[in-house]
Amino acid sequence: MKYNPEEPQVIHVDLNSAFASIEQQSRPLLRGRPVAVINRRVENTAIVTASYEAKARGVKVGMRFAEAARLAPGLVAIESDPLKYRFVYKKLMAILNDYSSDVVMKSIDEGVIDFHHIPNHRPLIEIGYEIKQRLRDEVGSAMRCNVGIGPNRFLAKTAAGLHKPDGLDVITADNLRATYETMKLTDLTGIAEHMQQRLNAVGIDTPIQFLDASAVALQKVMFKSICGGQWYERLRGFEVDNYKTVTKRVGRQYVLEDRNLTHAEIASRLHHLCESVGSRLRGQHKLARGVYVYAKTIHHQYWHGSQMCQLPFYSDQTINSIAQQLFFKAPGLIKEIGVHCYGLVDDDDSQMSLFGDILAREHQLVDAIDGINQRFGDRTVHSASTLDTGEFVKSKIPFGSTRYL
Amino acid sequence: MNDELFLNERIKVLAVFGGGLNPCRPLRFRRINGREVDITEIGLRHPNMKGKRMVHIFDVTDGQADYRLEFDAQQLTWHLTREADHEI
Repeated sequence: MKYNPEEPQVIHVDLNSAFASIEQQSRPLLRGRPVAVINRRVENTAIVTASYEAKARGVKVGMRFAEAARLAPGLVAIESDPLKYRFVYKKLMAILNDYSSDVVMKSIDEGVIDFHHIPNHRPLIEIGYEIKQRLRDEVGSAMRCNVGIGPNRFLAKTAAGLHKPDGLDVITADNLRATYETMKLTDLTGIAEHMQQRLNAVGIDTPIQFLDASAVALQKVMFKSICGGQWYERLRGFEVDNYKTVTKRVGRQYVLEDRNLTHAEIASRLHHLCESVGSRLRGQHKLARGVYVYAKTIHHQYWHGSQMCQLPFYSDQTINSIAQQLFFKAPGLIKEIGVHCYGLVDDDDSQMSLFGDILAREHQLVDAIDGINQRFGDRTVHSASTLDTGEFVKSKIPFGSTRYL
Repeated sequence: MNDELFLNERIKVLAVFGGGLNPCRPLRFRRINGREVDITEIGLRHPNMKGKRMVHIFDVTDGQADYRLEFDAQQLTWHLTREADHEI
């Protein structure tokens, strides 16, 4: 199969170092200075995003702040401000939606516009530069984004990563091979270290070798699944990633602010997470049938427990009740906890139940509480045991998903 | 760590309400101690729903420090809620 010869019809827009750029936009004195966005104001916190000035000094995402501050003297740590990032996300989404009805926001800082069904549109390069300018006009002069244009989503995203920051690149059938020649395997979206090792094991060390591998070899030897065939098409510019993801679970995690908390104190933070998960679940108009709780210890052990129920539920109280029962068996010396709801079904009230009255009462109570919280602000009504946890377990940035934005 | 101050200071603000992309532009504010601050740039304005109450948040600077002003659209009041000079 040759490369996809069609004119590129997909634009990928990626905000550069999004959260750090937004902070530099909103706080003009930080522009040109190394900035790190963190989730908590403690020395051992990890860096969520670093500005380009910080990255130039070797600061990386995920690095401990103390280590980063040694690399970049004068590094300014800013606590993340999800509301502000959501605002910019909505602005970006509004801009992208002006060009096509087929827009998918891939995460809080990137979106894809598909022009396949729009006849006689303007040249995509012109639209790409216009989006950059509109971002500066409508959000702020310090905002920059990368724009990638390609025949499919994969190549558009690849193009968006070629020249950071503020680049605009086009990948077509004509320059596809030359582009891969300048890249490493891990530069390809979807190829991380583990996948790279698997590719290396079958003699594929570069993107060009990956491109030249036959569909049969990829499907039957390398991936041993349909994924091999998809990679074969994806690398050549044919669309295989235009699908909608289904929400299979809703969850939240929390790294404890102090390693010396008692079991009861950790349980109250778990309760807070359950309230947050319940709210997200209802926001997605879903019911759950299962609860999964996990804990990571300071000795890098992973403990988990789960329970599946016959009847679906969605109240904070039920989620917390199941989670606390499971958490009772958790080990000590915990540094991180998390809770997920799974076995999700739509909350459409279509199924008659023998326990209809009980469920209806639970619905009414939970809906009344949600109504109060929507009117007067989050956590106006919540359980007494989470009275003092809000100071620690704050709302954070949802990476990789736009479901809660 | 940065040296951000968290405040809840009622302030008087001189602002222009007009059209365009930024229909409300605070120009100057007077702090409770009488000091007047001339705003040289609005970094970002974003809305924040506190329940059903809308509060507009303005991150601004006077070139010496960055400030956060909050305009309560229901009460029609302004508060200074943050100040940072980001000194090394």
